[in-house]
Order: sequence, then C-alpha cells, then structure tokens
Amino acid sequence: MARAAKKKQSTKLIALSSTNKTYEFKKPLEKRIKYQGKEVDIKLHEDPKGFSYIVWKNKKYMLDVIEKKQNRYTIMVNGVWHSFTVETPVSLKRKRYLEQQADSSASVSIEAPMPGKIVDIMVEEGGEVKEGEPIIILEAMKMQNEITSHITGIVKSVSVKKGESVMKDDLLIEIKKG
Amino acid sequence: MGHKTIAKELARKHGVPLLGGSPGSVRDAEEARKIANSIGYPVILKAAAGGGGRGMRVVEREKDIERMFTLATNEAAKAFNNPDVFLERFVREPRHIEFQILADQHGNVVHLGERECSVQRKHQKLLEESPSPALSPALRKKMGEAAINITKSVNYYSAGTVEFLLDSDNSFSFMEMNTRIQVEHPVTEMVTGIDLIEQMILIAEGQKLPFTQKEIKLKGWAFEWRINAEDVQSGFSPSLGTIEKISWPESENIRVDTGVRDGSVITPYYDSMIAKLIVHGETREKAMQLSSQAIRKFWIKGTKTTLAFCRAVLQNSNFRKGNFNTSFLSKELKIHYHNEPDDALLAAFFATYDYAREINENEEKPLHTENGKAITPWVLKKRLR
Repeated sequence: MARAAKKKQSTKLIALSSTNKTYEFKKPLEKRIKYQGKEVDIKLHEDPKGFSYIVWKNKKYMLDVIEKKQNRYTIMVNGVWHSFTVETPVSLKRKRYLEQQADSSASVSIEAPMPGKIVDIMVEEGGEVKEGEPIIILEAMKMQNEITSHITGIVKSVSVKKGESVMKDDLLIEIKKG
Repeated sequence: MGHKTIAKELARKHGVPLLGGSPGSVRDAEEARKIANSIGYPVILKAAAGGGGRGMRVVEREKDIERMFTLATNEAAKAFNNPDVFLERFVREPRHIEFQILADQHGNVVHLGERECSVQRKHQKLLEESPSPALSPALRKKMGEAAINITKSVNYYSAGTVEFLLDSDNSFSFMEMNTRIQVEHPVTEMVTGIDLIEQMILIAEGQKLPFTQKEIKLKGWAFEWRINAEDVQSGFSPSLGTIEKISWPESENIRVDTGVRDGSVITPYYDSMIAKLIVHGETREKAMQLSSQAIRKFWIKGTKTTLAFCRAVLQNSNFRKGNFNTSFLSKELKIHYHNEPDDALLAAFFATYDYAREINENEEKPLHTENGKAITPWVLKKRLR
C-alpha cells in the first residue's frame, strides 16, 4: 500500500512537441502550471453537451484529444492540433540519446496518411527519390492524392501493390537516407 | 451543358469571351503536349464532365504533362464515369466569379447576382460570399447579361450557374456552366430572399418565374464557410474519424446545412464536407464580424476540420479589404490556420494531465474478483497475497 500511495503523487512530466519544444509540468495532476514566472491554477470545464474547455485569460479554449497511443498525444485547441509525446525526465534523456545514435544511417518509412486505394506507384526498389517527389498515388475521398517523399534517398522497400487497399498508417515505402 | 467542351463551343458562337485551349476533348497525352506547346504554359487540364475541382490539374512545364494527363483522366473516369479531359490556357491569379441563373420553360431567364468563390485550394472552394467585393454595378450588369445569353443559347431551364474567370483588368471569360444546384447556393438565397430549390421545383412543374430581373434585389452580404473534415495543418489532407459531438450557435443571421450529428463516422468513400455555416449581415464588415463569432462557437469534437482555417482567413487584412484572388491561399495566407500564443502550452498541459490521470486511475482501479469475470492467475495471486 505504501508503494501505491507514493505513486499517486503526480511527478514531473514533460510534453515534447513534434517541433522538439519541451513543456515541463511539475505536478500535472494538480492542474497548476508555471506561466511567466508565476504559478497559475488551471480550471478544466465540461459544458452540458460534453465539450471540454479551459478558461484562460478570459477566453474559452476548446480541448479535444484527437489521438492517443500510449504516450503519444494529439490535442486540439480551438481547432488547431498539437502533437506531443509525454515523457518523464528519464525517458526524455533516453529518447534524446537514442536519436543521436540513430541519426546518420536511418531509413524513413512512408506510411499511408489515410485509408484508400493505391492507384499508382512511381518508384521501384533500389531507385532514387528526391525530396518532394511524388512516389505513390492514393485514392481517398474521391481524390487522387499524391504522396511525396519528404527525404532524398534510395528506395529500400515497397510494401504495397497497385490496386491494393491500405489502412491508415500502413507502411507504403521505406527510404534509406542518402 | 454539363459537358464543358460543348458548352464552350456554344459560348463562342454567342460572342461570350473565352480562353484559348483545345477545341474539344484531348485524346491522349501526346495531343495534350502539342496543344499546350502551341498556346504556352501554364495550362490546365479539366474533366469534361467534371466539377468540384476533381479531374483538374495545372501543368507548369512540358515535362509534367504526361503524368498530369494520366492523373486527370483517371480522376475524371473515377469521379464522373467519363475520362474525357480538355485543356485551356491557365490564367494566373484570376478571381472566380459565378452567376446564379433561374430559367423557366417559357424562355424567361434571370440572374440572382454573383458569388465570389476565389478562395480555393486545389481548385476546390473553401468559402463563398455574395455579392463579390470586386464587382461594380456596371460590371455586374455586363457579366449577368453574358450569363443570361449563354443560358438562353441552349434553351436551358431550371437553376444553373455560369462560371467566369475575372482578370485583374476586369476582363472576364466564360469557364463553364453548372446545370445543377451548387453547394454554395445558400449565399444567394440569403441576399435575394429567394428559395432556389422551391423555384427549381416550380420550374420543373412548368410554372413561370414569379419575378422579373428588375424585382431581384441584393440585400446585405452573406458568407458561406465550408466545414470539411480536413487536416489544414497537413495541406488539407482528408481527416477521418468519428464526430463525437457537434454543436453550433443559432440565430436568425445564421444558417447551418449539415448531414452529420453526434456519432457520425467520416469515411474515405465520400468527400470531406461535413457542414456549411452561412452567415448574413447588413454589410460585408458586419457579416465578417458575425462569422467570427459564429465560428468561435462552432464546436466539433473527434475530427480535424477547416474551422481554424476559417478563422485565419477572417484575420487576414487583405481578405477583410476584399482584396484577393485565387492565389490567396498559396501567396497571401502564409499560415493556413489561426493559432493563439498560449495554444501549444495549454495543449501540452492537457496531454500531460490526461497521461498522469490515466496512470493514476489504473493504479486505483479495484480488482473485480467479486463478479468472477476475467480473473487472471496474476490477479488472483496478487489478491491472495
């Protein structure tokens, strides 16, 4: 029991944004944040219809958890989303270290941004791709969407075939940086 | 008239200004290359039976024409069951102005003013307004008459829309006619007070139009904000999911057209529009102010939408001045969504709070051994200890 009680106290957590910014919260469960040198209490509200919001500087900020996978969060504030991973001081340190190690020889996976059908594949295994070049055409929502490579490199593997249906986040192509 | 190449031929016969391009549908990529080379780049490929921005591709350079031709024909075949595409000169930075037409079976044709549809991405409209800040009464009269002439030339009846490109020197050219009711028709209804669907039904019954051109007056200003399930922060890519909750403000200046409700699922099989927010004001300024308020109170939980984009548009000074064209998104509006300084901080807090709460809850959860369900040996062991 002593162990459980100890854990219930909220410990310091850090939200690491997709743009590599960090936001530290000493005691997130106590809903207090440090803002311009001061400790400020945050009030979370839920309106009768079930929308969550924070009142901040006399303005309503509508909140919504769009995606949540373990410690990965996408939070929408007034219609704009922000992605974070929630880290402890130790896990953040480890993450930074691993990234440093992996940096140079890494390969990048291109995943389906939405479910749809593969209409065309413009690259082959072993072929070169340039940043911004279209590599796959994925049909969804009655549109043919060009999926482009965000890095320059060599195609390591192609995991889909023409005409195949894919789900969101399915691996399409792996590209080795180069 | 729904077929764009035939419509263009008719317009040419009736002296309505047109853009240079292919005389009819383009057979193959090689023919497209030849025509494009003769009229000069950039050119645009469009689905002959198309609409809604699908099957449409701008080609900037000769080396892209083959790929773009394939994309456009595939999309046209898929979306409209007709792979025909045509090609025309691409006017950079025009305004997209369209006129609403009503025509009965007795040869009476009126226009109900224009709609300004220049704010687009990938040739899909994102918002519309009526009237357009670009049109003087004289230009409105001239373009309205051209629209009526085109409609009369084909003996069309029902509601229709004649689309024009308006160049910065106020010259205009006929683009196409839409022989149907359009998504953006509510802005016209708001400023004219005429129910277009009602008129379509009366016309189909063979009745005469109950008003003349003179009796049609434009009152005030209306905006339509398209609320699409799209991820504005990732280039307007479709955003799928479930609309957990949806709520909007109600007032006599506001009209919301939607087919979704709490629990509706957004699938990849339909286009991304989930609602239209239509706002009317006495002046453009007033209509913008009411729009800002309404957008702030339009809440959707569960999916990414274009609402933050609408807010960004309303903050842009050139948009507010009425000074924009079809390049607005690519050139003028650098950030496609409206962000406030503390948004990220509050989002970060909410993520950590939710995470901390979940961990905490998991530890407090009592073990349901009493109802005898799903007890794993591990739990039992813990319990017995």
